[in-house]
Amino acid sequence: MPETIDNKNVFSLQEVALSIQSTLAARYGSSFWVKAEMNKLNYYPKSGHCYPDLVEKSEGKVVTLMRANLWKDDFAAINNNFLQVLKEPLKDGIKIMFLARINFDPVHGLALRILDIDPSYTLGDLEKEKQETIKRLHDEGVFGKNKTCIMPLLPQRIAIISVETSKGLADFREVIDKNPWRYCFFYMLFPSLLQGEKAVEGMLAQLNNIRKVISHFDLVAIIRGGGGDVGLSCYNDYALTREIALFPIPVVTGIGHSTNETVAEMVAFTNPITPTKLAEFLIQRFHNVSVPVNKAQETIVDKSRRLIREEKNTFQAQVKLFRSVSRNILVENKGNIEELTGKIVQQSKFLMRNQKEQLSLLTTDIKNKGMFVLHEASQRVNRQALMMKKDAVAMLGKFKLQVAQHVLQLKRVSKFRFSLGSEKIIYAQVRLSERSQLLLKSRSLELYNLEKNVSNLDPKNVLKRGFSVTLANGKSVRTTAQLKEGQQIKTIVYDGEILSDVKSIKKT
Amino acid sequence: MEVNPNYTLAFEELQEIVSEIEKGEITVDELSEKVKRAALLIKICKEKLTTTEEDVNKILKELEAGEE
Repeated sequence: MPETIDNKNVFSLQEVALSIQSTLAARYGSSFWVKAEMNKLNYYPKSGHCYPDLVEKSEGKVVTLMRANLWKDDFAAINNNFLQVLKEPLKDGIKIMFLARINFDPVHGLALRILDIDPSYTLGDLEKEKQETIKRLHDEGVFGKNKTCIMPLLPQRIAIISVETSKGLADFREVIDKNPWRYCFFYMLFPSLLQGEKAVEGMLAQLNNIRKVISHFDLVAIIRGGGGDVGLSCYNDYALTREIALFPIPVVTGIGHSTNETVAEMVAFTNPITPTKLAEFLIQRFHNVSVPVNKAQETIVDKSRRLIREEKNTFQAQVKLFRSVSRNILVENKGNIEELTGKIVQQSKFLMRNQKEQLSLLTTDIKNKGMFVLHEASQRVNRQALMMKKDAVAMLGKFKLQVAQHVLQLKRVSKFRFSLGSEKIIYAQVRLSERSQLLLKSRSLELYNLEKNVSNLDPKNVLKRGFSVTLANGKSVRTTAQLKEGQQIKTIVYDGEILSDVKSIKKT
Repeated sequence: MEVNPNYTLAFEELQEIVSEIEKGEITVDELSEKVKRAALLIKICKEKLTTTEEDVNKILKELEAGEE
């Protein structure tokens, strides 16, 4: 009951809580179905109880958050039911439809107590999620990508995503390690959880690791086994399956039987389903190489031997044939040669004889013809000699006659010329004497006249007439200019010479 | 034709030689060379089937180097 303190009604905390509790119990007396997302299961293994966080989201935002209680016994029953129907345990992040009762506890406060969860609702939701993943991968065009990777002829190097303790991994190793053909595989474990909530994260991390060293691997094998059919919904996760689909080398799955094939198995390069089958699949790939190699070896040995044998036979046959043919040719040619030799001898003998006859025939002919030519030539010479003699005699006679005629003529002509000449001479003698006497008379007259002139002109006759000649320095003086005063001069007269000196000179 | 082909090429070449010899396309002249070659190819293939050169420690080192 409330106390009165300073005129106020004051309730104790417990009174308030109990009041709320009774009010709620009265208002929410029966249980009811609620749908919500179970964000966290919050399972406490020690007590076996769960305290799930329930949320409702709108456009990705939490619009309502309530805590719930799931008591140990209820949890066990519900979880069993889930495993049977969903092949999944209760876990974080699933949508649930649950039967609840509002519960208020004075100590723990308000909570929804979960009495039951309908697994088919969750199943439907999970299936819806799976379908959505498939659709998204298809829409993005990546769904079949990994199947287009090229698996090497020998898928020898395997990156295994599994757990060390997995029974599936043990099965795989059993087959691979103990294969009786001694095929050698290299595998390396990239450990990851393979089921439950942490599996997606773990597998994505390991795929990322494998990418870093991808050059060392031919394929990725996801191996799980021994865990039954539970906890496989992670293999429908969009992010994980997308990574598998887009992985650059083949991803092969051996995650055990499930009622429904997971998306991861669908997008994988191939899905041999179990780890053992996966190992056998790889062994088979080796067989695919090994068997043809062994067969190739046999074939090559066999065919080569046969080929050599055949060639040998052919060769021997050829040798035989060659020997026989060449012998025949030899014999034939020998015969031909002998025949030809005989012919040649015969022919040459005949030819020799023939030529000899012709030669002697020609010799005689040449002798006869020579004599004839000689005879003819000498006759011709004689004839010509005779003709030349006759000609010479005739010509000589002619000459003699001509000469005689010339002499006669010459005689006659000279006689005539002589008489003519002597007449002319007599006439000339007469004329010559006449002419000479005439000429003599005229010349002696002329001479007498001339003699008279010459004696008139003689200087002695001039000097005798009283003329003189004055000389100075040996030269006759004709002008006064020739003389100087005091000079000696010589004066020639008819009967001698006078020397005198010049006293004075007077020009006239 | 590589001198030391990888096993895929070796396998293919081997198949080719087998096909040639089966069809009788190989003459005696070539036979010796072809058989020699085939022997090498068979050896490569068989060796590959039973050996590997990968080393876990090396890969781990590479992984660690990649994470730094």
